[in-house]
Amino acid sequence: MRHIERVFRDAGVTGHLYALDLDTGRDLGVRGDDPVVLASVFKVPLLVAFHRRAAAGLLDPTERVTLSPEERAPGPTGIATMLDTVTLSLRDLTNLMITVSDNTAADAVFARVGLDAVNTAMADLGLSHTHLTGNGGELHDTLLADADVPDLGELWARLDEPGMLSRLRALDPSRTTRSTPREMARLLAMIWRDEAAPPEACAEMRRLMGLQVWPHRLSSGFPYDDVRVSGKTGTLPTLRNEIGVVEYPDGGRYAVAVFTRSFQPLAVLPEADAAIGTTARLAIEALRTLT
Amino acid sequence: MNLVGHLGCFVVVAEELHFGRAAERLGMAQPPLSQRIQRLERELGVRLFDRSSRRVELTVPGRLLLDEARDILSRVDRLSSLAERARLGETGTLRAGLPPDLGGSVVAALIAAFRDRRPGLRLDLREIGTADQVRALADGTLDVGVLRHPCDARDLAFGPMLTQRVGVLLPAAEEPPAHLHLSDLAGHDLVAAPRDEAPEIHDDLLATCRRHGYDPPAVHEARHPQFALGLVLAGTAVALLPQAEAPGAVWRPLLGDPLTWRVSCAWRQDAGGDDVEAFTATATAVLRDEAGMTPLAPPPARRVALRPASGFLA
Repeated sequence: MRHIERVFRDAGVTGHLYALDLDTGRDLGVRGDDPVVLASVFKVPLLVAFHRRAAAGLLDPTERVTLSPEERAPGPTGIATMLDTVTLSLRDLTNLMITVSDNTAADAVFARVGLDAVNTAMADLGLSHTHLTGNGGELHDTLLADADVPDLGELWARLDEPGMLSRLRALDPSRTTRSTPREMARLLAMIWRDEAAPPEACAEMRRLMGLQVWPHRLSSGFPYDDVRVSGKTGTLPTLRNEIGVVEYPDGGRYAVAVFTRSFQPLAVLPEADAAIGTTARLAIEALRTLT
Repeated sequence: MNLVGHLGCFVVVAEELHFGRAAERLGMAQPPLSQRIQRLERELGVRLFDRSSRRVELTVPGRLLLDEARDILSRVDRLSSLAERARLGETGTLRAGLPPDLGGSVVAALIAAFRDRRPGLRLDLREIGTADQVRALADGTLDVGVLRHPCDARDLAFGPMLTQRVGVLLPAAEEPPAHLHLSDLAGHDLVAAPRDEAPEIHDDLLATCRRHGYDPPAVHEARHPQFALGLVLAGTAVALLPQAEAPGAVWRPLLGDPLTWRVSCAWRQDAGGDDVEAFTATATAVLRDEAGMTPLAPPPARRVALRPASGFLA
């Protein structure tokens, strides 16, 4: 634990971490029950709610959705960056929202699932500290409104103004979409144990998280060819998160949730990204050697 | 024109990209160096350097010819070294490299067995680490070597692969149990062969330790096994190495054998021959019988869980 704290400190972040052995229930936390801002990690509760509603017959995963350039939630990847009208099935939209964190795809899924359905699903699964306050587009709008800036570029440029960070509701777990590291790890455990939704839906969720493209956070901590890393990142100014499951060839499976907040208002901070992988590895190695 | 001499000048200028510094390295004045380069350019019919700006830069043909020039020079070096050995009557000598920690009895057995097989051939043995062996094989100062894998395998041919089980050397006073897990070593410093002797093996060793729950607070580098033993006996560190006997210390195998070393003979692909073959057969047999190495079983299928960032054409 001291070792984990030192990695966080050396990377210039405060970190929250919770790791859980999926098969023995053994766990380890560093401020793992503190409320944290989910950022794009909210797409995992959304994905779970999507599959639960599909299983209940309340939506059709193969329904085709057409998105014109005018209805694009802003974002750095995927459909959010495209110029022309696209048509995709709902379930392929969940693919983009998980694998590249596509905000337009996520908000299109969000529109079909609904905020209340996500919060109800989390409550039904016993995750009482997990709560969504809105979709990605709304999060974007509160950021600009709170900062009184016209776009995210200017927000970044003015982020170091005194008082700016504390004015932003999107960075305050009591006023935005939130959970705790423990509850996010528990949600992953339910996905991996086929408890969050029907087994074939859980398998599909595991598949998508295994296809996530980012190598710089959780994945970077496990430079082993035979270890499978699945995850979902979340990013907002000064916040860098990832939750995921790490699977070893000997059958060991571990859910881990890491949420960091950097002291420096910098957009590029590779050591903070890498600290997520390093601390996750330290936590999982500790769980593995307790046997 | 002395083509080899001129090519030597070309390579040095290409490395320095500065005529003054190149002349200094060659121990000559700058004007004759410039003349030699111009002479070589006329001979080859291409410009080798771009001297139009204030900087000296290799032209595209210059870059193309640089590797060839280096190759010719290293072949000429080999030619001279072969001539030198012939002059000294050393052609009846096989120069072989052995890893520094092989152990006295193994070395003695190897010499005896080789003498039986090739009575007329003198064996010139050198104690030399894997990385240096690879270099010595490449520049022709070594005929054959016993080295560890992984190593830089370009232009090398290998004999049968053997594996060697690695365990831990601890002070006898600690009375360690019969078997240990790598994670049981937590908190101990590690003493290992210097990284520059075999960087790939060193990195692999540390990665395996860390993966199995042993992250040494400090890693001490010991070139000589006796120095490593000293650190172990002092209680400063533990050593990871093949089975060894040392007064005051005990060697213990590791549960699950997380660490094994792969060893084989190696020689330059274009410099094999009967003598090298005889050495390889002898050394492989001695390492198996005297050093407890075993022929490498077909490796278990390696599980690779590909991530998107390292996927096809990603």
